[in-house]
Amino acid sequence: MTSLRRLVVALLAGFVAPATALAQTVQNPTLRRAQQAYDNLEYRQVLTLAQAALRERLTGPERARAYELLGFTYGAMDSILKAVDAFKQLVLIDPERQLDPNRVSPKAYSAFDVALRQVLLVRQLRVDSTSFVGGQGAVPIRFTVTQPARVVTRAVGSEGRFLIDSSAWNGQVNLTWPARLANGDPVPAGSYTVVVDARLGQNAFAASQPVRVSHGRVDTLAHLTSLPGYEYLPETEVPPQSWRPLGLAFLYTGGAVVGTVGLESSSLGSGSKRELAVVGGAALVTGLVMTLRKPAPRPAAANILYNRLLRDQIARRNQEIAKENVARRQQVQLTVVPLPKPGAAGVR
Amino acid sequence: MRPAAAAVLFVLGQAAPAQQITIGPQAVLASYREVVSGLRYAGFGFGGAMSVRFHKLSVDGVVTRVKLDTADGSAATQSVTATQFDAWVGYDVAPYASLEVGVIRRTADPELDAQSVGAVRLGARSFYEIGPGATILFRANYLAAPRFSGGGRAPFSLDLGLGLDVRLAGRLHGTAAYAFQRINRKTNPGGAGEIDAPIQETVGRVGLALAF
Repeated sequence: MTSLRRLVVALLAGFVAPATALAQTVQNPTLRRAQQAYDNLEYRQVLTLAQAALRERLTGPERARAYELLGFTYGAMDSILKAVDAFKQLVLIDPERQLDPNRVSPKAYSAFDVALRQVLLVRQLRVDSTSFVGGQGAVPIRFTVTQPARVVTRAVGSEGRFLIDSSAWNGQVNLTWPARLANGDPVPAGSYTVVVDARLGQNAFAASQPVRVSHGRVDTLAHLTSLPGYEYLPETEVPPQSWRPLGLAFLYTGGAVVGTVGLESSSLGSGSKRELAVVGGAALVTGLVMTLRKPAPRPAAANILYNRLLRDQIARRNQEIAKENVARRQQVQLTVVPLPKPGAAGVR
Repeated sequence: MRPAAAAVLFVLGQAAPAQQITIGPQAVLASYREVVSGLRYAGFGFGGAMSVRFHKLSVDGVVTRVKLDTADGSAATQSVTATQFDAWVGYDVAPYASLEVGVIRRTADPELDAQSVGAVRLGARSFYEIGPGATILFRANYLAAPRFSGGGRAPFSLDLGLGLDVRLAGRLHGTAAYAFQRINRKTNPGGAGEIDAPIQETVGRVGLALAF
């Protein structure tokens, strides 16, 4: 199969799949006929068939689809109140149901929006995957409350129940759960369910999201051997070649010669100076050799000081790292991952 | 003798980077004049030198024994064997200079053919490392309170020195030293009045040394 044919097959599968899925979810023949009537814009027929289907035995999704068809149809027929009623039934069955404003009529969409605000729901409960050091982060939790209500959010697990928040909310809600016990320790590892309980008068609604909390070790920091941008400098430097050794040999030998000649006693006469010639000659030869030799490296005081400061800085930083690592070894890395919901939320 | 040798070995073995000990033999050339130009000797001998440095403090000691023969044209008739001991204790007052005190003791055999001398040294020295392992030295000492076997006094006595120490290989060093000594000795034989009896000595020493 060529890649072009594969692409065409994939595109066809993409278009056909939703229709096939919808056909599979709608098994009831009356509801299927209502769907076909809606597709053919036969709205009277849709109303009759959908209401008839609702009197029959339907699955949850089928019942939701029947009310959705009724809502769309009433919207198309300008019966907004009836459309709102139908959508209220729809969201009570499927609170997570969303309409695409680009694909439904504005009348139907506004009716759906009004219906949402007339029913107390907790929708779109999301717990984000996160990982943080215990005590230094929190688990983000967000949901939408469709009516002003007292909302209690808890994490319920085998290790206990932890109150996350209890406030009056309406609309989009963003909460954080530090996942800590009262004494500051992180909550024990295990499975928890984040339960959002909204209550308004006699109406109440609850939504939940299971999560798994796991413990891990906090990574320790590696010790430094160097600082970025700073390098050790050579602690010795070769001085430039100079005549200084020979000059010094001349100076010192000259001092001995002048001293000897100057101090010689006139009454004793002048000596042969063979001793001075031997030692002075040796000094001058040594001076000449040292002048011609490559100078020996000598300590570079500034570089030595710089390296000492750098070593001190690295040692100080490593002490801080060691101290931080001691603290990190006592900490716990918390990882929170949302789990698939075992069952949908519902009206109580 | 054994405890002394053990002590020396202990000191040598304990030499730390801040301290250095050098010790070695030396060949010695010397010439000696006394009283008048006609009384002169020259000779050859052997000696040994030892130097200990500990931070700013240094101690040097030299022992030489030279057989001084009468030089050509000398009025002297007999050779003399001179044994000399020099010692200095120095303290560095600057990176290239130190003050020093010491003693000198020279004896002659036969005793009356040349003066035996003892004195205290007071002076200074300058030293400079002219290359890797090569140090040159110049010293000037005033010889105070001299004593002579033949009596007399010396109000002005000086000792000049030139020294060289070169590391040849590893611990082996080559050493050379020159010393010029002028003593303005005055004597009063028979109480008839002071007469000059100067003493002048030059010594050249060349040798090897081991450094620890």
